[in-house]
Amino acid sequence: MSEQTMLEIRNFSKSYGGSHKAVDDISLSVNRGDIYGFIGHNGAGKSTTIRAVVGVLDFKEGEIFIDGHSVKAEPIACKKITAYIPDNPDLYENLTGIQYLNFIADIFEISAAEREEQIRKYAGQFEITEALGDLISSYSHGMKQKVAIISALIHSPKLLVLDEPFVGLDPKAAFTLKEIMHGMCANGTAVFFSTHVLDVAEKLCNRIAIIKKGKIIASGTMEELTEGHSLEETFLEADNAENNTAA
Amino acid sequence: MQKTILLLKTLLLSTSQRNIFRYTTDQTKKKRIIAGLIGAFLLYGMIMAYGVLMCIGYGALGLTGSIPVMTALILSSLAFLFTLFKTNGYLFHFREYDMLMALPFSPGTVAVCKFFYMYLKSLPWYFSISIAMLIGYGYYAKPAVAVYLIWIILSLILPLIPMVIASFLGFLIAKISSGFRKTNLIQTILMMGLVIFGFSLRYIITSVMKNEQVEEIINLTAQTTDQAAEWYPPVRWFADAVGKPAVLPGLLLIGTSLILTLIVFCFVGRSYRQINSALMSHAANKNYRLKRQSQHSPAQAIAFKEYRRLVGSSAYMTNAAVGEVLTVLFGILTLLFGFERIVLTVTMDAPIDVTILQPAIPFLIYFFIGMVSTTACSFSLEGKNYWILQSLPVTKEEICQGKMLFNLYLTIPFMTFGILCMCISARVALINTLLYVILGTALCAFSTAWGAVCGIRFMRLDWENEIEVIKQGTAITLYLFPNMFACMILTVLMVILGMRIDHRMLTGIMTLIIAFFAWLSYRRALVLAKKL
Repeated sequence: MSEQTMLEIRNFSKSYGGSHKAVDDISLSVNRGDIYGFIGHNGAGKSTTIRAVVGVLDFKEGEIFIDGHSVKAEPIACKKITAYIPDNPDLYENLTGIQYLNFIADIFEISAAEREEQIRKYAGQFEITEALGDLISSYSHGMKQKVAIISALIHSPKLLVLDEPFVGLDPKAAFTLKEIMHGMCANGTAVFFSTHVLDVAEKLCNRIAIIKKGKIIASGTMEELTEGHSLEETFLEADNAENNTAA
Repeated sequence: MQKTILLLKTLLLSTSQRNIFRYTTDQTKKKRIIAGLIGAFLLYGMIMAYGVLMCIGYGALGLTGSIPVMTALILSSLAFLFTLFKTNGYLFHFREYDMLMALPFSPGTVAVCKFFYMYLKSLPWYFSISIAMLIGYGYYAKPAVAVYLIWIILSLILPLIPMVIASFLGFLIAKISSGFRKTNLIQTILMMGLVIFGFSLRYIITSVMKNEQVEEIINLTAQTTDQAAEWYPPVRWFADAVGKPAVLPGLLLIGTSLILTLIVFCFVGRSYRQINSALMSHAANKNYRLKRQSQHSPAQAIAFKEYRRLVGSSAYMTNAAVGEVLTVLFGILTLLFGFERIVLTVTMDAPIDVTILQPAIPFLIYFFIGMVSTTACSFSLEGKNYWILQSLPVTKEEICQGKMLFNLYLTIPFMTFGILCMCISARVALINTLLYVILGTALCAFSTAWGAVCGIRFMRLDWENEIEVIKQGTAITLYLFPNMFACMILTVLMVILGMRIDHRMLTGIMTLIIAFFAWLSYRRALVLAKKL
């Protein structure tokens, strides 16, 4: 594993209960500064992989390393440098936005001054400062998503893992998030995210992996994969080729 | 009618462990369901044993005729209290409200289905009590075969009226609270008031009815239950239907139950949408200005989160903090009326020297405080939020410690307050008072750790309604019953030993024993937490 590698997934497989594998022997690596898009159909295995990376899902087959730490052997060390934003963030509805952010900051042992600065910065960017005193239960889906994003950014992670991050965000917030992702990558943070929106992936990512029925059917840099075509065409071509092989 | 049955069937299926067992391929989940089922049957067994023992006591004293009245009274009061705890969460303010109301069901249909769902889910508990009492009654009264059949049918019907009354009271509370901005707070206060009234009802009835000094305590209990039956006709109808036996009282019970249910739910259905809309809408100020923030340890942060979870849910608050509220009330009443007067009221003027109860003071308070431990349900209450804790850089043991810390914050101050009130009132020596406070603290530690063991062992995240894990989860029942039975035994033991052994030495020994069990439970909780 090179020093540049921030996330490395090696031969990871996951079955739910029976013999059917949700993810089957996938390997990939994400370098510092990468914005890595993970695309595929519904049920392809994207969320399973992401949940295993962030230590939410237990797994036996394969290995996942974050900045050289094994997710299996050193989960806490991995989580300290990782931030996760799920597709549908169920947050603690009985906390106010600011209480939730303070809760996350306390867990990550962020000093009072630093958290104030971070909250001021990100809450301002997402235009949510005035709502932070209200209960999360009163928030719209998009506002909850914004709080989840701020809580992920508050501890300046080295690896940012996002599952469908743009769902529910208004256009301005989506733009802000993209800007933040670019800014973080310029500072050496790696971003690994799943999406259905191929246009977003095409404009944002420098590397892509396409997953289908639990297997990676194509991966590489954007240029290598698309070869002058659009990502949509490339995705459909890879998908059809896989269907023909399976038939 | 067809729609009602369809919705009821779906509601039952959506929370059916049998359905999960049938379709899941996850072997761990299957094992948990089996373990939960075994645990539930053990508890049914314990409850039934308690019921049979009660009947033996009645039978041996020649009070067999009072068994049906006692059965009906127990079933009715349990149904009333348990429903009161559950209306907010089952009938109102439930998670799938939007989804259900968007379907072509009338509000009344949804309300009545929710009510019968609550009834059917509670029925096994009531039925196990009823069957146990029937066994005892059958042994002593040797009734005709028809009586067994009538008993079984009527005991299925018997919980309906108290449940309807409790639901209606819950409806009134929800309706009143929905008119306020702080609906949750108002609802919690009103519900707590009603629950306290429910707990005191027995003493209110006794004080109203008692005309003369009764010689024997068991006879007084039988007399009180018989008198209570006169106040609450369904109990008399049940007793007459199985005691005489007679058909008319039985039909009266069935008819009244069904008609009352229909009338109440027609009425509730009219305001159902308006109440739920008000309860589920949230006010937002949107005027926050970022102020100076402060840093806390991860365990304190988790404890604070637990505090917000508790006060944020009226159902959770009513169930988990009622013991603390009762402790405060009990403590104040003890200070006002004196230790002796309170003990005599509770024991219905039993001819005892109240000073012998002094060593049991921490256990008397523990009856309130130990009723529920937040650790027994807080793991399951994470539900869909569990991903947050899973993805945080804290060990599972630290999460467990944070949750335990909160329960200690919640229980120890109230336990201390209760003990101090009783000790001051009973004029207990200072050293003894301190020792009782230490014993009380050990009991809180045990309650917290034992609750965590049950909560982790039977953690259930896939609930549809928080009441499923707050009120009738396996973890809660497994925490509660052995804990309460052990507490009763230890109270009696403390009183008996206190007559022979020096109180300070006895309290010291008991503190060491309880602390040892608390430590064992704590270690077990951490081992279980690590495996989460």
